[in-house]
Amino acid sequence: MIGALLFLRLTSLRNLVVYRIRRLREPKYLLGTAVAVAYFYYFVGRNIRTAWAAGSVPGGNPLGSMTAFSFVPVCVVLVLLGTLRIAYAWFSPPENPGLRFSEAEISFLFPAPLTRKMLIHYRLLSAQLGILLTSLLIAFVFSRAGYLGAHRVLRAVGWWVILATFDLHVNGTNLMLARLRERSAHFLLWRIAVVSFIVFYGAAIFWSAYGMAGNFASTGDYSSAGLSAAAASLMQAPVFHWLTLPYRIVFGPYAAGGPAEFARALVPALAVLALNYGWVLNTEAHFEEGSIALAEKRAAVRAAAQRGEMPALGRNKPKARSGPFPLAPVGVPEVAFLWKNLLSMRSSLFSRRALFIIFGIMAGLSVSLGPHMSGHSISVQSGVMRQFVVIFSAIIAGYTIFLGPQIARQDLRSDMPSIDMLKTYPMEGWRLALGELLAPTLILSVILWVAIVAAAMAVDPAGDIEWLTPGVRVTVIACLAFAAPLLCLIQLLVPNSIMVLLPGWHQTARARGQGVEMFGQRLIFGVVQLLFGLVVFVPAAGLAALVFFSSKWLLGISPAVVLSTLSVVPILGGEAAVGLWFLGDRFEKFDLSTEAR
Amino acid sequence: MIEVEALTKRYGDFTAVRNLSFSVKPGEVLGLVGPNGAGKTSTLRCLAGIIPVTGGTVRIAGKSLAEDPVGAKRALAFFPDEPRLFEYLSVRQHLEFVARVYGVADYKALAAPLLEELELSDKADVLPGELSRGMKQKLVIACGLLHAPQVMFFDEPLTGLDPLGIRRMKDSIIRRARDGASVVLSSHLLHLLEEVCTHVLILKKGDKVADGTLRDVAAQFSNGEANVSLEEVFIRATGGSET
Repeated sequence: MIGALLFLRLTSLRNLVVYRIRRLREPKYLLGTAVAVAYFYYFVGRNIRTAWAAGSVPGGNPLGSMTAFSFVPVCVVLVLLGTLRIAYAWFSPPENPGLRFSEAEISFLFPAPLTRKMLIHYRLLSAQLGILLTSLLIAFVFSRAGYLGAHRVLRAVGWWVILATFDLHVNGTNLMLARLRERSAHFLLWRIAVVSFIVFYGAAIFWSAYGMAGNFASTGDYSSAGLSAAAASLMQAPVFHWLTLPYRIVFGPYAAGGPAEFARALVPALAVLALNYGWVLNTEAHFEEGSIALAEKRAAVRAAAQRGEMPALGRNKPKARSGPFPLAPVGVPEVAFLWKNLLSMRSSLFSRRALFIIFGIMAGLSVSLGPHMSGHSISVQSGVMRQFVVIFSAIIAGYTIFLGPQIARQDLRSDMPSIDMLKTYPMEGWRLALGELLAPTLILSVILWVAIVAAAMAVDPAGDIEWLTPGVRVTVIACLAFAAPLLCLIQLLVPNSIMVLLPGWHQTARARGQGVEMFGQRLIFGVVQLLFGLVVFVPAAGLAALVFFSSKWLLGISPAVVLSTLSVVPILGGEAAVGLWFLGDRFEKFDLSTEAR
Repeated sequence: MIEVEALTKRYGDFTAVRNLSFSVKPGEVLGLVGPNGAGKTSTLRCLAGIIPVTGGTVRIAGKSLAEDPVGAKRALAFFPDEPRLFEYLSVRQHLEFVARVYGVADYKALAAPLLEELELSDKADVLPGELSRGMKQKLVIACGLLHAPQVMFFDEPLTGLDPLGIRRMKDSIIRRARDGASVVLSSHLLHLLEEVCTHVLILKKGDKVADGTLRDVAAQFSNGEANVSLEEVFIRATGGSET
């Protein structure tokens, strides 16, 4: 069985490499590869050279002198993510828990003369290739500054222990869920018990750390030595020490400062790994149906991604839903596209998993900010929170304008497979383009509106800025909100225009075998999006500034803001109209059968 | 030889197949028919050991699928309706892989005529992405036939094949049955069943409605009429509607 697996993996890898090299004969792949290689050389290659030359991280500390502080953040984040992943599996288990096999593996291996344990071994070994590669990448490529001082080979082994243990634990959890679902009449009770245990366990760790962090915050010593001392005392606190023991055993080899310490840490870590392995192998459960369902779902997600659609975050198959609003049979046809695209977006935006992720982020933020707040007065806490809201809103707004169009793809891009049908509709090209762009424009605009309102309300709550009166605040919010949809619409024109101008590139992104050239291609798209944004927005922003500063002395701030907005909106509207006309015209002349070759 | 006794398959509260019993002897071809959602694919997947049965027993070539799954599976081949292949294995490498899994020592000698028969010889070093759907289906068939199975399960075997491919597929099924294989095939193409099958089993909502030779089943639903077509039999047996 191992021979068959190795044959499959190694032969596939060789064929993949040959296939990718051969397709470099096409310019679009060659250009994408060149950009990606240049990027990796600049940001990663130099680091690898240094790593190979030095063996260990330059300036890294051996464990003996390693500050406990340097070890804590990485581990806390990983432990938090891992625990959330397991908690989510118990909180919201799939209808049929299973192991991850591809559809081809199911088709060939499930009817083959293989025992259940052989299939599980196949799955575990199969995952090892990815885990090994990930460990090497983290240890040699992405660990630029590094936290610890051990040799990178030892660090890679440490990462392998962490990732392999986690993979085994996830598989064990899935099998246990499958077993409980099929054999226990109290499946829900089991899940409640396990989730409760995880919550209490997490709460116990949190409270034991919370007190320490509170003490640390009250000292006000934010120097490296102070942080290290606080982290060291946290590690020695009895409750925290024992509660985190399983995690610390698994992280032990990674944290080791030298070969001797690594060897000592490896033994208990491998014992934990072996325990999980035994758990997976000896949990008698039917995983076949769950594996088939999982493979079908992954294939559907992949197919959706290849069609340019947003992959659904939920686990279940999309369900028929009522429309976002009643669609009258007669009226402006663009609204029909808005209705259709909003309908297809809803299952992704409001899935249970999406809500779980949002809840997790909020919980993480409150946990991370909590200790820093506890030692301060309410007003200071409020000030910190408001600063955080302003910064976070600004980041969200920037991402929404420049990256949002690459993510919100429920427009012409998602309808690419049905483009022949779209061309039969009795509509001018620009109207069809407008209809297709309405839904992502609306979604991105809503995100921008929320960010604008949050930031504007959080700035200067005490009223220290004299000119920022409530009236000015409301005017700024209203004017920015008024211009936001136009900004989103203009930015969405970029990827859609690329699709109709360079359909071959779009087809490439949907094609099988995503590789380094796809990464390069996305870099090119990203740079084009950014440059286009700058070319369109900078003159408009310049004009707005000119109008504002030249009129505020005469009219006052609020009227000047309104005037500058009114001077800029026609420009943005004109740019959007020209863009829509161009996109519609190109769409009408678009011939997929010849241009996509 | 396929022996099925009281096969039941449930998905949660939904029963896909209920208390199904039948047998297929060497040389027989059983056509599994029924409306959409009747339980045909669930039955085939249970028989092939892809999914576990909820109740009942399945014996393949004398071996219990529950007690000796490896022995039973060694004797069978399953041909799904949708060809699912490894993206980066060529046609020849698929056969190499399958040979390794089933332990077919002389696969090279067996693979060459199979590829020839299925018109894949000139595509032997091509990846699946470069094959048409019909070619992919043929590759799945080649992989399934490589270990000379005694029992074969076909789920819609003619999907995606061109007219010549359909003719060859039908001939291949009949020839392998004559050579002693037990075959179960599921299809909506009733003319295929009339040409290929010796027996037919009609399912509706997971229940067996009729089972026997084509002549017996036709007689059961003919109401005394002569020369009743299988299509008419099917409509009368299933009530003419989907489940």
